[in-house]
Amino acid sequence: MARSLLQNLPPLRYLLLTVFTLLGVAFIIAPIAIVVLNSFSSVAYNVFPPEGYSLRWYQNLAEQKAFYSAALRSVILAVLATGIALVIGTMAAYAMVRYTMRGADFIKAFLLSPVVLPKIVLGVAIFMFFIRIKTSGDYSSLLLTHVLVVLPFIIALVSAALVNFDWTLQEAAMDLGAGPITTFLRVILPQIAVSVGVAAVFAFFVSFDQVETTLFLARPGENTLPIEMFLYLQKWQDPTIAALSTVLVLFAGVVMVALSHAMRDRRLPVALLQKTKEEASK
Amino acid sequence: MVDAVATGSTVLRPRRLPKRRNFMPLFLLLPTLLLMGYTFLAPLATFLQFSFFRFRKGRLEEAFTFETYQRFLTDPYFHASIADTLYMAATVTGLSLLIGYPLAFALWRINRPGLQKWLGLIIFSPILVSVVVRSYGWTVLLAEQGPVNWVLLGLGIVDEPVRLVFNLTGVVISLTHIFLPFTVFPIFSTMVRLDPSLREAAMDLGAGWWTTFRRVTLPLTLPGLVAAAQISFTLALGAFVTPSILGGGRVLVLPLQVYRATSDINWPVAAVGGLVLLMMAFIAVVVFNRLLKFSEI
Repeated sequence: MARSLLQNLPPLRYLLLTVFTLLGVAFIIAPIAIVVLNSFSSVAYNVFPPEGYSLRWYQNLAEQKAFYSAALRSVILAVLATGIALVIGTMAAYAMVRYTMRGADFIKAFLLSPVVLPKIVLGVAIFMFFIRIKTSGDYSSLLLTHVLVVLPFIIALVSAALVNFDWTLQEAAMDLGAGPITTFLRVILPQIAVSVGVAAVFAFFVSFDQVETTLFLARPGENTLPIEMFLYLQKWQDPTIAALSTVLVLFAGVVMVALSHAMRDRRLPVALLQKTKEEASK
Repeated sequence: MVDAVATGSTVLRPRRLPKRRNFMPLFLLLPTLLLMGYTFLAPLATFLQFSFFRFRKGRLEEAFTFETYQRFLTDPYFHASIADTLYMAATVTGLSLLIGYPLAFALWRINRPGLQKWLGLIIFSPILVSVVVRSYGWTVLLAEQGPVNWVLLGLGIVDEPVRLVFNLTGVVISLTHIFLPFTVFPIFSTMVRLDPSLREAAMDLGAGWWTTFRRVTLPLTLPGLVAAAQISFTLALGAFVTPSILGGGRVLVLPLQVYRATSDINWPVAAVGGLVLLMMAFIAVVVFNRLLKFSEI
């Protein structure tokens, strides 16, 4: 039985593992917690414990118009890139899962290879290429680059969901006269909706967090938020960045809560892993 | 669509797939392949092309030459950079595994689903926070007057503040934090797939917990460990944001050299540096794939 669980372990090992886990949790939370604390500091330099508390960095942040427009640009870019990648990535995943092709392993490796490539190499290579064909600075160049960056994640996550899909449902729908697109939208998509949703959220944040690939592509004065923050940090290290980071952490927190609410009936995507295992052992 | 017809009419006849079916996957893959050709293959080709050019007296010369390679690969300055990059990636990988394995183990063995979900969320949620923010958080944490030094001084472990930031130490700590979710996940997923009856059999046959762990759990989760090492090593090789924020200009790993050369319009050096980095990542992937096969006995 799988019930030989934590509390059934002898106390010492249980205790050690608990202590280690708590330390691990502290390690994970610490840099984010300190940013939030530091944003309320009353002085410009980093000192612990804080010498006083104030909201002045939030006031300063409110005056930095560059961050607003950068944030808006980042959100629009991430939404567009995620949308395009979802459509073409799902098509590709469908092709990979549903059809047997010659060289399928090779194609799969190729589709996922941008992940392995160091981001800075990708960013610089794309920049040089776009300079050569004189499209550097175009919005389409930036957008397509972001689509490329998030695409492997979408393909991987959607493929995993499609592998577990019961294809007799699709055949049944087709037998009953539904066209291929109707079948996809009304039969397949609802079944894989959670995975597609997770993929979309993940892709959004991957795009939203791009530094290396965007650094050279964004036109001066039209930077995305992470670039704006990165450049700001090169010049100043005052808690304005902490205030902005706190806002971003809050944003991520809201998304996290929404996501866990959407998956409240499920445990971690463990079920998915176990299913794949069963399939593999068949 | 072909399936439906085949299953509907003649079930027993071996399915002959009409030609049309061969075009379908290609059609579905086409947008992705076009995009990858345009934003992935073509840029890499351009990159390769630039590596054969040379940079002289502040100007780019488009002549086919191995000069840049020669200069890059014989320059001790770049050797140090390559060594630093490898050292950093190896340290980060080691630390990630040391912290990630027990965390994955704890996540696996927690029996209350609520608690498991929360621990899972805590481990994975930092992915949603920008790398820039997390790196900035570490500069604050590790600062001379920051909390870490405050604790170390308070406990009397050190007499004066330790220099943890704007050097390799800070970069390694921060990168370990950033890659931790990517390390925990593959380890955790091999643990979840583990057949519980194997451990019970070992226990029933009289093996203690340590023997069971060493002879059953660890070998069976080794593929996850290797996969985790592969991910953190390749990610660490290409890390750019964290070394530039926490390195304070002193940690000159290869990605930073590539960035600098690009900003200085010395594109041939940027291209050669980038290709060296690419080769390192590629070799790492191949070696770890070998290890993965080996570990999946």
